[in-house]
Amino acid sequence: METIISYLDNMFASLPKTLEMKQLRDELLANMEEKYHELKQEGKTENEAIGIVISEFGNIDEIIESYDISQENQTGPNRLLTETEVDDYLETNRLAGKWIGLGVLLCIVGSAIIVLFTALFESGYIERNIALTTGVILFTILVAIAVSLFIYGGLKLDKFKYINKQMDFEISRELQSKVEMMKNNQQSRFVAALICGVALIILSPAILIFMMAVNEQWIIFGVVIMLALIAIAIYLFVYFGMVHGSFTTLLERPMNREAAEKEERINGAIASIIMPLAVIFFLISGFVFELWHINWLVFPIAGLLVAIFNASYTLFSKKDA
Amino acid sequence: MISSDVIRGYNDTIILYLLLEKESYGYEISKRIKELSDEKYIIKETTLYSAFNRLLKKGYIESFHKEQTFGKKRTYYKITEAGLQFYQEKCREWELTKDVINQFIKEDFR
Repeated sequence: METIISYLDNMFASLPKTLEMKQLRDELLANMEEKYHELKQEGKTENEAIGIVISEFGNIDEIIESYDISQENQTGPNRLLTETEVDDYLETNRLAGKWIGLGVLLCIVGSAIIVLFTALFESGYIERNIALTTGVILFTILVAIAVSLFIYGGLKLDKFKYINKQMDFEISRELQSKVEMMKNNQQSRFVAALICGVALIILSPAILIFMMAVNEQWIIFGVVIMLALIAIAIYLFVYFGMVHGSFTTLLERPMNREAAEKEERINGAIASIIMPLAVIFFLISGFVFELWHINWLVFPIAGLLVAIFNASYTLFSKKDA
Repeated sequence: MISSDVIRGYNDTIILYLLLEKESYGYEISKRIKELSDEKYIIKETTLYSAFNRLLKKGYIESFHKEQTFGKKRTYYKITEAGLQFYQEKCREWELTKDVINQFIKEDFR
């Protein structure tokens, strides 16, 4: 058996040390082992069995040709991801999903806090100026933390830009089936999270109506609770969406470079125009027109707009292709 | 014994035929080829696996993992709808090839 292993390793010595080749080598070894044991059972001597197994191995050039190895080695625009890289990519996406989700949650909680302080002032618990200053300061702190989280998550993901852009990488079939299995395992949690999120969003106005029915004064507290529920829902969407998205990105066929870059440019442009506009609108309508009790609506609306633009762009550009 | 050069264009057909019966893995397929051909054709390991790779790339077969009795993981292959169509095409092509080549085959040399 040792002879067969070293023969096989010699044959593979000239091939690139990719995961795909390692898996092929293991697969071939398993076959050769099985053949060897069967030959021994048929009464062949050790040497005869080894001789037959090796003579039936064939020519390694066939493998080189069929796997396009010579070509891949020289130019090789696409890199083959190793198992560690894929695990690292999935884990980084999970963590970044957590941070970015948390950032979005903090932004919404921040606007909820402003609403809360307005409510405290209107109910006569605290003075107007104190309420406004404290509210805005807390909002600013939370947004600052959120922005740091966005940047941190973004930086972590930057390492995998080429994967996220779905270009210039390849993944071995075995690794692909592993990712598929992980995706399937995750699927039920993803669906559960989506259902919870949607349920929270649908239920949140009900809380508002309930509060209104109990006491008209409480309506603004109802808004705070509603925003908190929406914040949790959006956290669920972002976190599970990113985890799910990372599986899908690995499994989908890589796009060509041009299409990938174009899509990223457009999506980035939409988000970087709409979101700052929303913040400006929020601050002006609050400070100038004192609309703190209602202007938080701009954030869910802006988020929806970004999602709609991105989705419709993706949809139409895919149609063109 | 048939040399692999002669049969070259039909390795894919042979493998697809065996996958029509049931999903299978490398060694089982090479063993069946040996049995069904009465040991007249023994497919080489490298020939078999470059055929698998070619068929996978073209989408004629799919691969998946299955645990063996020894607790080892094995790559199994199964034929796809496209593979079935390709197989039928190759069958028709073979009939044609056979007719053409037979035109040039002399039965007796007296």
